[in-house]
Amino acid sequence: MRLLKLFLVVCFIILPVSAFAEKAKTIEELASMYDSSRCKECHAEIYAQWEKSHHARSLMGVQDGLMMTPLAMKGRTPFSPEDPGKATLDTFPCFKCHLPQALVSADNAFAVDYAKALLAQDKKRVGMLSITCIVCHNTKAIIHRLEEGQPAKNVLYGKRDVASHDDEFFTKVKKSGIFDHAIMCGQCHGLGPNLEFENPVQCATLYGSYEHNYISKGGTQQCQECHMQKVDGFADHLIAPNWNDHEGTKKILQDTIAMDVQTVGYDWLKASKDWKPMVVVNTKITQNAGHRIPDG
Amino acid sequence: MTAKSADGKEVYNTERHYHTQATNCKTNKMLYGAQVKTQYIRDTALQPFETKAETFEIQLPKGVRAVDVTVSLRYEINKPANFIEIAKVSRKVSLDR
Repeated sequence: MRLLKLFLVVCFIILPVSAFAEKAKTIEELASMYDSSRCKECHAEIYAQWEKSHHARSLMGVQDGLMMTPLAMKGRTPFSPEDPGKATLDTFPCFKCHLPQALVSADNAFAVDYAKALLAQDKKRVGMLSITCIVCHNTKAIIHRLEEGQPAKNVLYGKRDVASHDDEFFTKVKKSGIFDHAIMCGQCHGLGPNLEFENPVQCATLYGSYEHNYISKGGTQQCQECHMQKVDGFADHLIAPNWNDHEGTKKILQDTIAMDVQTVGYDWLKASKDWKPMVVVNTKITQNAGHRIPDG
Repeated sequence: MTAKSADGKEVYNTERHYHTQATNCKTNKMLYGAQVKTQYIRDTALQPFETKAETFEIQLPKGVRAVDVTVSLRYEINKPANFIEIAKVSRKVSLDR
């Protein structure tokens, strides 16, 4: 019996819970299902980059606020339940992008647990949930699902095929056509208002800006070319900016936005013999990103 | 942007805000928060391939013939006091030669 218990525990740790039919009911269960910590055994540098990224703390806002807290508070938003015990997955429309795995692998009991954690401001537990490797490289990897089907449970997706992948569960890597295209990021980084919910939600609109105000003006680069530039031959999974890194973000903003200032002082002849002391300051601000700054 | 006279007195102060602005479409009150924002009603953000050009005309008070102009370009995060200063330009501008 002890051996069986040990086997079950080992299975639970090793296998992502997407392998199980059961839906997650707690933060810990969902975190375990999508735990990607074993990826660092072979992809240490990429994993270290990801750990510093906002994807690694997708439920924590800029500078680590629990931005979904109002959704759990009675009367604070149209989505808020009467009490956290009545929360459902529909209480949290933000899951669409901030925790997409909840929509396929968790049930309403999870939403209750999450709502209670928000009200308790339990950053430690909420911080267990994130956009892990599995989310991008499996859950969100296929957008042509009518043609290509749902993501296969034992397959990771990337920029190229890998016949054999040294992992107990994800034994293959298949090429996905979208991994080097902006649409991969655009799935979550927003076109505009999300009207599929019972009340509209509008968060990031970066992808809309990219499509309609960058491509339309002749821009040709993909999100990945700026935000995932290669480091030692591999795409940087920090996917900068990291807003918690003040100096790093400042450097990116300075590399992206330029301001020119011109000044002149003179006596302006407003009317005959009526000179007014005048200073004129002309400013010009330009930016070289593929989207509006700021967005959202 | 500020302009100060030689004695340090501020003679001009103004701001420009570059960002999207949204309401819930039920009132004209601008709102923050993804769960309530419904539509942009204005977008003054910095756009790709575009230049934001501004002209500030400062009529100086009587007796002031020179000012120290400071232009600070900031990225505000969540609230005005929390910002990253992207650029800061200071110039002494005099009307006299």
